[in-house]
Amino acid sequence: MERDPFEIKADGVDSAQLVAEIKAVVQAKMTTGAYDDPRIARAERLNLDTFKDDQLFSDFYLDCLRDAIEVDINDFEIVERRPRFSGLLVRLKKTIWNLLRFYTYRMWTQQNQVNGFLLSAIESSEHRHLEKLKKLDQRVRELERRLADENK
Amino acid sequence: MPTAERICFVTLRYAGEGVVGGAETMIRDQALHAQRAGRKVSFLTTCATNHFTWENEIEPGTREIDGIEVTFFPTDPRDVTAFLNAQRLVEKQVDRTEEDELTWLSQGVSSEALYAHLREHGEQYDRILIGPYLFGLTYFASQLFPDRTILIPCLHDESFAYMSVMRKMFRSVRTCMFNTTPEQALAQKLYDVDPESSVVVGMGLEVGDYDPLAFAAKHPEIPEYIIYSGRREGLKGTPLLIAYFQAFRERTERDLHLVLCGKGEIGVDPAMRPYVHDLGYVTEREKLEAMAGAVAFVHPSRLESFGIVLLESWLAGTPALVHSDCAVTRQHCADANAGLWWQTYPEFETQLCVMLDRPEMRDSMGKAGREYVQSRYTWDTISERLLEAIDR
Repeated sequence: MERDPFEIKADGVDSAQLVAEIKAVVQAKMTTGAYDDPRIARAERLNLDTFKDDQLFSDFYLDCLRDAIEVDINDFEIVERRPRFSGLLVRLKKTIWNLLRFYTYRMWTQQNQVNGFLLSAIESSEHRHLEKLKKLDQRVRELERRLADENK
Repeated sequence: MPTAERICFVTLRYAGEGVVGGAETMIRDQALHAQRAGRKVSFLTTCATNHFTWENEIEPGTREIDGIEVTFFPTDPRDVTAFLNAQRLVEKQVDRTEEDELTWLSQGVSSEALYAHLREHGEQYDRILIGPYLFGLTYFASQLFPDRTILIPCLHDESFAYMSVMRKMFRSVRTCMFNTTPEQALAQKLYDVDPESSVVVGMGLEVGDYDPLAFAAKHPEIPEYIIYSGRREGLKGTPLLIAYFQAFRERTERDLHLVLCGKGEIGVDPAMRPYVHDLGYVTEREKLEAMAGAVAFVHPSRLESFGIVLLESWLAGTPALVHSDCAVTRQHCADANAGLWWQTYPEFETQLCVMLDRPEMRDSMGKAGREYVQSRYTWDTISERLLEAIDR
């Protein structure tokens, strides 16, 4: 990983400033997709309480989910690390994979379909939730304005 | 100001061998220092050692421990089903009655034998210091002689703090003795506690020198590592730390290890086991030496009223990474310039990389942390504040 460009003096650290600088760097990198990583989504599942009021994180988490939603059912390179009988073992593994693919393809395509439905449902729920909040926000502002007019 | 000579401390467990708990340790140490200052101290506690089951595991009766008179009382039998049903209501923070709250408290940990002793002897004590806030034992004992009770709440911003009975307790006692100003501010916000009856004390730490190479000499198999010390459970954020550590290793491919001290189960992915070292319960010196050799102390808890282990890591000269949702540890880090606080994994990852890449910065922060603890949290400073709070 590349080293981040933070200026830090050896004779004293201003923690608040450094935290703010790191936050800004992270925000900038987030927009480039540097953290759209299912491994982060997995780690953050225990930190969701922190983000209950944070729309930015909700967007980020949905991005990670979109990235991780498809189970990879494509072919992949089959190798063998052990030098002895490696050619034979690779052929054996390829045969096993060809047999498994036939049986698992149906299962994984169904799983992908289910994952897709779940993501759509979450996105739709998120969209409706935001729309509802927007309307409520407008309503509160309208009521506050009316109340202020009445009190004049 | 008249001096309160006879002081009674009441808490859930007596901290010591096998009993790990920040609040219990702090209250025990406050009792010891009050005794050393010449006050007559009694210590009342329960026969329990496990803070989940509250089963009686210690023989009841009075014994002298660490130079003070400690009396152990049996806990009452619990209706766990009633407790869990009440807990569901309390956690939801809606549709709960005072009766539900009292059920939750009384079926948590309570000791009728201890209350009977206090009822009989309470008049003999000039002050009764009780804590932490979250338990039936504290609530019911605090209501026996509220005019001479000093509550040591160790308050956290959690659903239980929003119970109506808590407001009643905080507002009824003579004094609320907080550990830090963020904790005091939280009580002010939640209960509108009278500032005249509120004071910040905290606890002192014993300053010593800890060799940063001692841990490496005993564990040559462990390369660079971060450390966590304390109870290992969801409320302390240890599962989050382990998940973050795994993501960090996988994403950055750095050969960093994680060392854990303290009690409690940890769930580690089999692939991560070679890199996570569980030392279990260790001596104070072993713990501080392990801290001294670490890249950083990581405190993932959102619920701290003081953060003893954070201050200990600074005493050992090691900087910290803390969760930004914890106002107390965040404030310590900002005041001491000895730690950073993260809210998301990407921030954690970046901060940890900065720590790993800049040993000169780590040294500078560790030194700042040690100076912070030495200037504010030694017993010389705290004892004076403690006795003033007791006498007011």
